[in-house]
Amino acid sequence: MAQWQEVQSLANTYLEQVHQLYAGSALPMAVRQSLAAWIESQNWRQAAEPLCSQARMLFHSLLVVLGERLGSLGSDREDFMLKHNLRKAHRDLQAEFEEKPETFANLVANLLQEERRILRLGQAGEQEGSAPAPSPAPESGREQQIQQRLGDFHRALQEAERAFRHLEDLQDAFDFCFKVHYRPDGERNSDPEYIQELKSLQDKLQNLHRQRQEVLALMQQLLRRSETLQELLQQELGGWRARQQRQCLGGPGDTNLRPLETWFTELGQGLFQLRQLLRALGELRQKVTYARDPLVTETPLLEQRLQEQLTHLLRSAFVVEQQPSTPNAAKRPLVLRTAGKFSARARLLVRLHDRNHRMEARIHIDRDPPNIRGFRRFNILTSSSKTLLAGDSPQEGLICDFQYLTLKEQKDSRAGKGKGGGGEGPLVVTEELHLITFTLAYAYCGLELELEATTLPFVIISNNNQFSSAWASILWFNMLSSDPKAQQFFSSPPPAPWPRLAEVLSWQFQSVAERGLSRDNLLMLAKKLLGSKPSLDSTVAWSKFSKDSGSGFSFWAWLDGILGLLQEHLKQLWKKGLILGFVSHKQKEKLLKCKRSGTFLLRFSETVLGGVTFTWVEHPETGPPIFHAVEPYTASELVSLALPDIIRDYHMSMEEKNPENPLKFLYPNIARDEAFGPFYSQRMEGNLSDSQKYLNRRLIRVSSRPPNRRQTEEELVVATQDLQMLQLQPRGQGTQQPGGLPWPQPLGTLQVTPGNVGTPQGVTVTPGTLQVTPGNVGTPQGVTMTPGTLQVTPGNLGTPQGVTMTPGTLQPRGLGMLQPQPQSLEPPQVASGVPNFQGTLQVAPGAVGTVQVLPGGLRGDSGTLLGTVAVSSGTLPAEQGTLPAELRDLELLPGGRDMQELLQSLQELEPGLEAAGLMPDVVPTLEESFQLSPGSAALLDQHDPFLPQPEDSVLPIVPSLFTDFPPLHIDPSDFQ
Amino acid sequence: MGQTSGRQERNKKPEVAPSEIMEAEIEVQNTKEETKDVKAKNQKLTSVFGLADLKNEAIGLYNLGQSCCLNSLLQVFLMNIHFTRILRRITVPPSPAQRRNNVPYQMLLLLEKMQCGKCKAVGPTDLACCLSEHRVELFVQHDAAQLFLTLWNLLKKQMKKPVEELSDLYTICIQEHLACQKCSFEVKNNSTMLTLPLPVLDANSHRLKTLEDCLQYFFHPEELTGQNMCFCQQCGRKTTFLQSMKLVHLPQTLALHLKRFCFERSSRTQKLSLHLPFPQELDLREILTESQCQADDSEKGTWQFELFAVVAHSGLSSCGHYCAYIRSLTDCKWYCFNDSEVCQVSWDDVKCTYGHSNLYWRETAYLLFYMKKHPQQPWPGVSECL
Repeated sequence: MAQWQEVQSLANTYLEQVHQLYAGSALPMAVRQSLAAWIESQNWRQAAEPLCSQARMLFHSLLVVLGERLGSLGSDREDFMLKHNLRKAHRDLQAEFEEKPETFANLVANLLQEERRILRLGQAGEQEGSAPAPSPAPESGREQQIQQRLGDFHRALQEAERAFRHLEDLQDAFDFCFKVHYRPDGERNSDPEYIQELKSLQDKLQNLHRQRQEVLALMQQLLRRSETLQELLQQELGGWRARQQRQCLGGPGDTNLRPLETWFTELGQGLFQLRQLLRALGELRQKVTYARDPLVTETPLLEQRLQEQLTHLLRSAFVVEQQPSTPNAAKRPLVLRTAGKFSARARLLVRLHDRNHRMEARIHIDRDPPNIRGFRRFNILTSSSKTLLAGDSPQEGLICDFQYLTLKEQKDSRAGKGKGGGGEGPLVVTEELHLITFTLAYAYCGLELELEATTLPFVIISNNNQFSSAWASILWFNMLSSDPKAQQFFSSPPPAPWPRLAEVLSWQFQSVAERGLSRDNLLMLAKKLLGSKPSLDSTVAWSKFSKDSGSGFSFWAWLDGILGLLQEHLKQLWKKGLILGFVSHKQKEKLLKCKRSGTFLLRFSETVLGGVTFTWVEHPETGPPIFHAVEPYTASELVSLALPDIIRDYHMSMEEKNPENPLKFLYPNIARDEAFGPFYSQRMEGNLSDSQKYLNRRLIRVSSRPPNRRQTEEELVVATQDLQMLQLQPRGQGTQQPGGLPWPQPLGTLQVTPGNVGTPQGVTVTPGTLQVTPGNVGTPQGVTMTPGTLQVTPGNLGTPQGVTMTPGTLQPRGLGMLQPQPQSLEPPQVASGVPNFQGTLQVAPGAVGTVQVLPGGLRGDSGTLLGTVAVSSGTLPAEQGTLPAELRDLELLPGGRDMQELLQSLQELEPGLEAAGLMPDVVPTLEESFQLSPGSAALLDQHDPFLPQPEDSVLPIVPSLFTDFPPLHIDPSDFQ
Repeated sequence: MGQTSGRQERNKKPEVAPSEIMEAEIEVQNTKEETKDVKAKNQKLTSVFGLADLKNEAIGLYNLGQSCCLNSLLQVFLMNIHFTRILRRITVPPSPAQRRNNVPYQMLLLLEKMQCGKCKAVGPTDLACCLSEHRVELFVQHDAAQLFLTLWNLLKKQMKKPVEELSDLYTICIQEHLACQKCSFEVKNNSTMLTLPLPVLDANSHRLKTLEDCLQYFFHPEELTGQNMCFCQQCGRKTTFLQSMKLVHLPQTLALHLKRFCFERSSRTQKLSLHLPFPQELDLREILTESQCQADDSEKGTWQFELFAVVAHSGLSSCGHYCAYIRSLTDCKWYCFNDSEVCQVSWDDVKCTYGHSNLYWRETAYLLFYMKKHPQQPWPGVSECL
């Protein structure tokens, strides 16, 4: 904003000062107002110098401009006074300063300076006045300082430009006079007139010399200013880097680059402008030079200094904005998998580039590999260069965005590392740190530079089971090192100070389940790691953290198991603080000892990987309190039954008494249902009249009280709602399997009873959980499907073809509850090579429209495989709540994966399925009992219990058949 | 070196040739026999020059051609009110020729020119000419540390009356110890220095991290072995000696010289631009151990310093530019004196002279001037003068 405008917007007290300033001034305020812009753009200070011819010129220009202004004024009434005032001022000024324009120049210069002083005061006062009201952000002081310095820098730059123009004028004038008057050949040497001229020439040269010094001094000052500014910016950038590193670990922090980009760009602009000015200065030297010309000695120095500074600025301005990460592991960047896709992005914070110059960005992996034996070498398979085009992203700035990158290991890179070599490679795969370097051939205004930015080190794994320990390495590195190039870090990893480690561990819980670790949690962990007396100075060694400590798994593996469990099953409970979590055996007894019977707490098992257990206290009439702890639940169990439901329905069966739930109060003293009520899966209590036909049943867990054992064993029981053993006679046939459900049953005895099947439950499937909506109990239209609606394309049997269901077949008729949610899968596909089972194959809403196409990956047996999976999971009644979430992570690789492998991984992931379904010999049984001839839906055996019975108007579906099917997570990018 | 008359001095060489030792031996003589007429002259001088000096404003000095080094040092002198108080009381030489060649007098004239005029800068032409009479060449790039010593020696030599105060203002007293490691023979030697020449690299060419480290390293005892062995009178042969320095007295204005250069094999000096932070407040008591001092508690009590000025150099050892950052003692603000251009700066700007190992052309601090926070007693000259 122009100075005069700013002055006018000052607070009244300061305006008063301005009025006083002009009250006694020879320059009337009317003139100042009318010619504000012109006055401010002249260099009055310069003109005020003695020996300067500029003052006269300026003074006359002022009179001319004033005259013009007078002429342009209209004949309005308002203008009338102004016109009069200006005319008077014109007259007065001319009379007073005609003979002494230097005085006038001095006067104006002083006025302007005084105005600036008042402005500064006023603005400082405003800031003080407004500062206490809104509490300023902690950073804002710094930001303000930078902004202010940037402003100062640009103002000084303008001043230097003005001084430079003035120098040009002086030099031209001198040059002209010199050429005209200077005659060294001596015929006029004695001519007094010539001597006079020479003297004036000498004066002019003196003047020129002084101006040159002045301009040089201004440039030096500018450089100094920019250096300080850059120092401040570098500090900010360092802060940003630290924040980015923290954020990679899941810590808090704002990593927005926008302000930095603006500042760097502005400073860069200024420096390039200064560079231009220096060059022009060099050109002036070419035209006129003399002995001891300051331009000769000083300009090269300045040029070097500027060049160095500009280079420094640009080099540091090239940063990695997004560290390498795979798309579906956003919370754990810097762990890459061979053949998996990942992306990384760099940005040049100085947003200056030539429109018609193409800049090329490249990426390299491990450009300077560390000298470690057996260090694996990789190639980037996808294109490793990219051209930054002008106008590519005018708003977005200069970014090099590399996406869909894949890595491939070089064949001979493992030399010396393989198992044959006795494992003598010093670093394991997950401790091997790799780097990607971005390079950018930068060119702007004749300056050409090769810029470089390096990512944080990352770990490359080849198998998902290395993921956890790879992440441990990333944690350790980023926690302790800020040198991104320390690829040898794990050759001798430093120990971590416990407070730092504690913070980072807490971030892990925060980012997974939105609640960090409490002090007590951390204390327990500290004791586990450091022994009984942890202090703030304690350090944890890397091997202690990540290496097997004899218990079968490392500290980190244990912790990560818990993190996995939290993420999949216990997020809400953890977030609410219902899980005490990290409580040692001793501590838990201490806590519970003085609580009433039936008080329980939830803690993570220390012996089972990824297990959660509850312990409750019982005060017998005599003797010390007894503590019971149930065998830890792991993910595989929680898949079928959520922990709140387990707690709700948990029973101890005692020989003499009715079984009862011993869990009454959550530690310290919250009624069980109050604490866990919100998380119970809903019971089907509504619409009881309809449900009369069937008895509800649900799955609960019961422990029988062992005579003298702490850990109670439990078995899975299918019980009806009134807790009697299941005694439902199916309408059709099929062997009823009452009581404890043994999983590995021949198919005919599968626990899916038709009666059960007929219980039509509107089933909405959300990715992780299965919600049972009670409203439609007994309304069997839930998921109706007549065989005819199943569209099977004949001929595709055996070959793994997609079986497409028209969504219409799954009309949630009248059931508002039924909500197919295909959005959980994108594209909506579910793998199925299930043509053999059309009759029984009930596609539940979760899979609506989501029939999956496996492009050529499935062999002949695949159909049976998936079929069995489907059936077996169908045995899990819909109430059970959770889906086998692990299966979500299963990725189908296009054609890449053998089905056997898939099967295996399924087995690993979901042991519960294994018994019922995944045994190959079930398949023939299945086929036999179903007696399906491939491809003919019409040939469905009417006696099949799974088929609709004539009297059943509805299809006796197994509603959960497919709902429990793993909602396979398919990333679209995997198909690209 | 009697200080009674300026005339005696004129034909002599400058006291210390710039290329010689850094530590000037300073003899302090009692110059109490002041004649009455000198006193009268003094008072006259004060009445003439005293008023303008009170303003002590920051005024630039025009570059006369490679005179940035001189300009920076002059500013460091003239912005120091303790120094100008002394300068104001000098004896004016009787003849015009003597006046022309008298450095303190020319300096005083320059000071008055700076303070009385309304110009933003003045040219130190007369002083420069005067200096060139004393073998301080014009139009030559000087080393600031050497020039500082030269200037100071000229001042001391040509100043008559308050020369003792001048010494008090700037000279550092140390005691050198040489102890034979074989017997108990010990040599003590008191000496004075104008600046503490601090190394920025240790003996193994590792960089010292901070100014405090440099000071510690400077006072660290050194074992003289091998070629450096000294002759022990008691043992009657060359033995290993332990050389150590003890600090005896620190002046009001403490000058530190950062030896930011190293000699390559080609014997060319190379500038070291490495990062070396220096504090705004320096407490020597915290830095030096008990054994490195030879001073009583009241002396040590004054060893708290505040940064007053930084003479910074930009460029390479062969060519470069000097400027001075000075914290005005009257308004307590930092100014940057870059020849004719003077501007107010902040501590952040001064910090930029810490240096950066990858930026060779940037300004780096070369001379540091610290000022005592609590002088032991009021400056003796003050009561005498007013």
